[in-house]
Amino acid sequence: MQIVQYLITMIIVLSLNFFLPRMIPGDPLTVLEGDPSTDMPMLLTEEARAKLLTYYGLDKPLLAQYKDYLLKMAQGDLGWSIYYNVPVTSLLWGRLKWTLLLMGIATAVYTALGILLGTVSAWYRGSKTDLGLLGGVFALGSWPSFFLAMLLIIAFSVKLDLFPIGGVGNATGEYSSALGRTLDVTYHLFLPCVALVLSHLPSVYLVMRNSLLSVLGQDYIRTAKAKGLRERFILWRHALPNGLLPVITMIAMHFGLLITGTISVEVVFSYPGMGTLLHEAFRARDYPVLQGAFLLIMITVLFFNLLAEFLYARLDPRTRRRWTNA
Amino acid sequence: MTRRILLISLILLAIFAITACRPESVAPPTTQGAPAEPTQTSEPLTIKYPGDDWGYPSPFAFYPRGPGYTRMSFLFDTLVWKDEEGIIPWLAEDWQVSDDGTAWTFAIRSDVKFQDGEPLTVEDVVFSYAFFKEHMTAFKWNASLEKVKGVEAVSENGVAITLKEPFAGFLNDTAGSIPILPKHIWEDVEDPAKFAEPEAVIGSGPFTLTDYNREEGRYVYEANEDYFKGRPIIDRLVFVKVSDEALALETGTVDAASFWGKEIDVVKELRSDGTFEVLEGPSFWVLQLVFNTANPPFDKANVRQAVAQAIDRQNIVEQVTHGGAIVANLGIISPHTDWYNPNLPTYKHDTAEAKTFFEEQGLTTKPLTLITTANFAREAEMVKQDLEAVGLAIQLKTGDRTTVDTLLREGNFDLAINGHGGIANPSILDTPDWPAATYKNEMYDTLFAQQAQAVDQEKRRELVWQLQELLAEELPILPLYHPRMWLLYDGSKLDTWFYTAGGMSVGIPIPLNKLAFLPR
Amino acid sequence: MDERLAALFRSKTVALGLTILGTLGLLALLGPLAAPYEPQQTFEPMLPPNRRHPLGTNDVGHDLWTELLYGARFSLSIALLASILSTGLGIMLGLIAGYYERVGYAVMRLVDIFLAIPRFPLIILMAAFLRPGATTLVLFFTVFGWPRATRLIRSRVLGEREKGYVEAARVIGAKSPRILFRHIWPSTIPIALVRFILEFQHVILAESGLSFLGLGDPTIKSWGNMLHYAFSYPTIFISDVWVHWMLPPGACITLVIIALTLVGFALETQVNPTLRAR
Repeated sequence: MQIVQYLITMIIVLSLNFFLPRMIPGDPLTVLEGDPSTDMPMLLTEEARAKLLTYYGLDKPLLAQYKDYLLKMAQGDLGWSIYYNVPVTSLLWGRLKWTLLLMGIATAVYTALGILLGTVSAWYRGSKTDLGLLGGVFALGSWPSFFLAMLLIIAFSVKLDLFPIGGVGNATGEYSSALGRTLDVTYHLFLPCVALVLSHLPSVYLVMRNSLLSVLGQDYIRTAKAKGLRERFILWRHALPNGLLPVITMIAMHFGLLITGTISVEVVFSYPGMGTLLHEAFRARDYPVLQGAFLLIMITVLFFNLLAEFLYARLDPRTRRRWTNA
Repeated sequence: MTRRILLISLILLAIFAITACRPESVAPPTTQGAPAEPTQTSEPLTIKYPGDDWGYPSPFAFYPRGPGYTRMSFLFDTLVWKDEEGIIPWLAEDWQVSDDGTAWTFAIRSDVKFQDGEPLTVEDVVFSYAFFKEHMTAFKWNASLEKVKGVEAVSENGVAITLKEPFAGFLNDTAGSIPILPKHIWEDVEDPAKFAEPEAVIGSGPFTLTDYNREEGRYVYEANEDYFKGRPIIDRLVFVKVSDEALALETGTVDAASFWGKEIDVVKELRSDGTFEVLEGPSFWVLQLVFNTANPPFDKANVRQAVAQAIDRQNIVEQVTHGGAIVANLGIISPHTDWYNPNLPTYKHDTAEAKTFFEEQGLTTKPLTLITTANFAREAEMVKQDLEAVGLAIQLKTGDRTTVDTLLREGNFDLAINGHGGIANPSILDTPDWPAATYKNEMYDTLFAQQAQAVDQEKRRELVWQLQELLAEELPILPLYHPRMWLLYDGSKLDTWFYTAGGMSVGIPIPLNKLAFLPR
Repeated sequence: MDERLAALFRSKTVALGLTILGTLGLLALLGPLAAPYEPQQTFEPMLPPNRRHPLGTNDVGHDLWTELLYGARFSLSIALLASILSTGLGIMLGLIAGYYERVGYAVMRLVDIFLAIPRFPLIILMAAFLRPGATTLVLFFTVFGWPRATRLIRSRVLGEREKGYVEAARVIGAKSPRILFRHIWPSTIPIALVRFILEFQHVILAESGLSFLGLGDPTIKSWGNMLHYAFSYPTIFISDVWVHWMLPPGACITLVIIALTLVGFALETQVNPTLRAR
């Protein structure tokens, strides 16, 4: 049942991918005719226009194009970008790797930090530590990510001159060693990472804290305490595994947004990720790129949703029992 | 408590460690400073310029924009090129044109080599023109080969190009724009747009491409030691993607950057520093109000003239661009060219008179749509205010550029604000309301066709002047302003920057002419 | 530590949160009255703060304080309207889906599909196309906002149905809609409120994010647009204009988020008794 539903969702998504970009006014050739803000108009004659449409397969009836598209997708062929003039797969991969690097590190950090702080908060509930953490996380994490990013640039790049204002590496791209490059990429990654970590931290932290609080309030924990088990032991052995459940589901959902969650931060730091690609490809009405990028995004989301459900089922003692019984 | 201190010190340590990652190259290079080390003097001269990804710089793969063509022009040469004065010999050392303007002969230099060591011959020139003609749609540039009938080698170093009809813009739009390809590399290429091998960027140009990174928008060019006009005076030219050009210039991340229009505030801010030289260039760009001349009420010239009266263009220039623009020539053509007609009729800003007119015509009730892109929303708001002050009901709608262009092309608008370059070149007058093309006037078309064939410069200027007069009277569009342009640069590194007469190729206004990097 | 301190913190959070929201809400309501100028009125561009212009003027000479007030009006009313509509719709569907099984199944499949489609990229796509004004924005956020509320409410309704009182009401012959709205609905109010707050935050952030990316209607006075124009201003990083141009709208958005978090946090503590006491 679950699988059927995912299949239906996939088909809807694939069709949306195809039809949405084509419903928007303008076609890829509109952009070939020059950008008035940077240069001079390029006037395509009717003949040239027709030739180009044929070249890109855009002259066929919409349904025939749709069939071609589905067939190619089935073969894993995402096509050739009209504006960027490269295979869509290589274009996507070029951007995806940077997004994954940034978002991967940020996600790892805010998850770990959120779980850690949430646990501390729940364990010392009501204490000054708890209140301090609550206040601190809320105060730092409530900034819109793009605004936070701008403030970070002003504070750390402009005023203090500690970090670069954007990009992923130095100007010339030349390094004496692989280590030097790694260090430089890390250095450029720092501020965008901080912006992302801070803006995602509160949700993980709060879910962790609340879920652990619920667990700690339950009978079996009290029983364990009554039995005289050591508090730390209870925390590690009993409370945490159960308290982590909602967090894991939530993180899996967050991973689904991995690719698109960074767009405004990418824009501020001119970071070459998927978000900015989506933005540019849209402006150019580059259908193949839009289709490929959306497909990638949707697949990621669906995959992590599935993973979340699976993990939840495996980890939750109640559902686990039900599954093994069935 | 101790734990908190520990935590804080850990965080501080982490920040310290990260900032320690900071590579040396980030610090501004100290070329003028301490000459103590001998390696300093032999340090290669690298010029860094802000940029973005404009595609693989092969003649068929760059993105169809001025900067894309420029990236390619460092690697490939054309028969003629331009300096600050006008057209100059390049691969062709000399040329002749027949009296009727249809037969051109070029004498090709014999000392030119491609970057792989092969000589550039007339064969390559003939091949290139034929190849581009065959693959014209793959060449995403405005250069025109439509009027070329045939190309043939007439002697060891002579090439003859025959045209179907006289074409006044031939030198500029064709000979100065079509890059010459090495025949031995391209002759077997079937789909040039998809040919992105390393050989695809081997030309005869003054630089070789050593690095192109799509994601980071980086291009690294190295001086071509054997260039026929002499080795470039810089060793490397690097384009880097920066998030903020003004800041990048201030911090030394780039050595020069170009600003225009509203960015005048950067120029003011950085000029006061005194560390940068400022070069002001000609304005080859226009922001315009397009009328839908196919539909009422703007199908009547007197209505359009009343709009011209209603809009305070000087106020837009001051309020929106802070003086970063000049009030536009009603005849569209850039005032910084020889084609500019300074004696055009004018419309004095007069709200009251325009108001009376619109009320008499009964045009004050019908809602009119004004479309534009987000970039020009500020200007559009000012125009809207001016028009509302004379009693018109304006609905302002914004969309992305492709949407706006599509609406224009379909004629789905009353008024539109858009802008374009290319106004140093009279061929832009082909469709004054580009891309709407709603304006129809036979006299205008005849004049345009005549000037397009007028190979005699004086005669052509005469006709272009008449076209401008017609435009200023008829007002199919109302040109609003021409933004000013500036190059800010670090003069201690390179001082040879200049603006190209009429822009590079068909009119690229940016000061990135390869000639600026060559010995002169 | 001790119970009283925690209780104090809680009540203070609510008070603080509501005060912030109330103040901003009042400013938004009074916007046109409190604003010294008309939003379209132009003065000398790029004035630093002075007596006549408390926040100075922007790149085209609009008074920034006026713009901030009108922005509050737009941003807050969009968020309020969209979150009321989307949670309202979500609650209705959730109640129905929880009570009537067949309808519930169909609705939940729809919910699953909606939740699987990432909404932000879709909103970007549509926004880039439509340049949404107020109505379109509200419509967007309603269409993409309801499924979360529906899922929450439905599971709550399912839980309530198992309880004795529903059964009792049914036995004494109460009609279904009556049971649903009289008996079950009140028990879902707290979680609906929490959902409403989260939705409000989402809309405020998403709306300003869209405008910031330049995907909103650039002629609307909103906080997001103020940030967009400030960020696009060429000397934003090399001069100090950010202090009076970028900071105020950003701080307003942040304040709204913080205030909502405070209220929502206290509310959640009320809803979920395990969060309350040890």
